[in-house]
Order: sequence, then structure tokens, then C-alpha cells
Amino acid sequence: MTIGPTVAGGLKLVPEAEKDWIVLLEIANDGEGKLSKRLAKLMDEDSMWDEIVVPELEQEFSKQRLAVMREVVKAKEDKSDIHIVKKSAEIWYGALNQARLGLEERYKFGPREFTEASKIEDPVARAAYYRSDFYCTVQSLLLQYVMKD
Amino acid sequence: MKAVESPAHEPRTKARAKTDKPWQVVVLDDPVNLMEYVSRILIKIFGFSSEQANVLMMAVHQQGRAIVWTGGREKGEMYVNQLHSAQLNATLEKAE
Repeated sequence: MTIGPTVAGGLKLVPEAEKDWIVLLEIANDGEGKLSKRLAKLMDEDSMWDEIVVPELEQEFSKQRLAVMREVVKAKEDKSDIHIVKKSAEIWYGALNQARLGLEERYKFGPREFTEASKIEDPVARAAYYRSDFYCTVQSLLLQYVMKD
Repeated sequence: MKAVESPAHEPRTKARAKTDKPWQVVVLDDPVNLMEYVSRILIKIFGFSSEQANVLMMAVHQQGRAIVWTGGREKGEMYVNQLHSAQLNATLEKAE
């Protein structure tokens, strides 16, 4: 897959093989989890976070994953590139973040600077690590080229 | 008349004193969120300068946590809600 900034201030993802599409379609799956509930555990019971905030956040997080999934599916059907424009950059960033947070929750990779992919023995976990690393790269590019002020 | 006068005021005063105790919004470290993103969110939510946000972000990164705001509970909850919406680990604690 080739990724690069566009003249219009966006980011272009050019999937070149089936496996590239698979990784992009995994963003939504990797992000599925209980992020809003995990965040709610940081609050005390008096705040009623579970009742008031969690449903709202769940909806917001779900919207991000669905939007990215739809965009990827449409691009795959149309056999086109994916253009992340400024307007949708936060949605993409959020969905990628959810995916990385979800993978971290499942596999406990720890900080990137202390993790070596070659030392992860389980192939499923290693594949998950590579996906997380890829998502992180896209996030960095979004911050650098699209979400800048 | 007497029965109505004094009990009506006392609980209100107590409730107010309780609400006025300061609370702290604390951002906690995690191995996922990018440092630049954390700074951006702090600027966006609290209106910090870039320098202030970077100092707080580094405190989160190096010490595992940073107090980013102190004030009333209700407003603190609003800030934590915004931080959670940005997928950052954050909580509300009573100031010591």
C-alpha cells in the first residue's frame, strides 16, 4: 500500500493488493470493544458515568468505525483509492485510535519503543502488532499533513 | 413560623459547601495515544498554549499522570467527558 499527502491537504491511501484491503477492513473490527466502558471505570460511581456518558460515547465511537468501514468498502467496490480529506480526518484518526486501543487491550503490546515484533511468538498477536503499527503510521501522517492547524 | 425558619437554610448551606470543594481533572498515561495528539487535545479542550500543553503532556508521559484542571465537579465532569470522547484516559479526583 502506498500512502501520501495530497496537494489538497488530505491523505491518499492506495491499496495495491488484497491484503491491503483486508488490513483496512480490519480497522473497524479491531476497534470493536468496550472502550467507553473501560474509560468509565476510571470514574467513581457517583458520577453515573455508565448511565449517562457511556451510551453517548459508544454511539460516537461506533459512528467513527462505521464511517471508515463504509469508506473502505465503497473504495474496494469502486476499485479506487481512499482519500482522507480534512473534514473526515478526525473520524479516521478516532477509528484508527480505537483499533489500536482495542489491540492493546487484547494483546498488551506496551509502548512501541519497547516492543519488538520479531519477539512476539504468537503469529496472530504478531499480525495484530503489525496492524497496530500500520494504524499508528497512518495516524502520524494524519497529524502531520491533514490535522495540522 | 418557627418550624419553617431555620431548617430550610441549613441543609442548603451544607450542600453548597460540599459542591464547592475543588476537584481535579487528571490525564493518565497509556501506551497508545500519540504525544502530539495528547498535546493537541489539551490545547483544544482547555485552551492551553502549545508550551503549557507540551509540559503537561510530558508529565503524563513521564510520571504517568498530570493534573490539567482544578475546579468544580460539574465542570470537571464535562472536561473528563471531552477527554474520554478524544479517547484519552482521564479521571476526576478530589483535590487534596
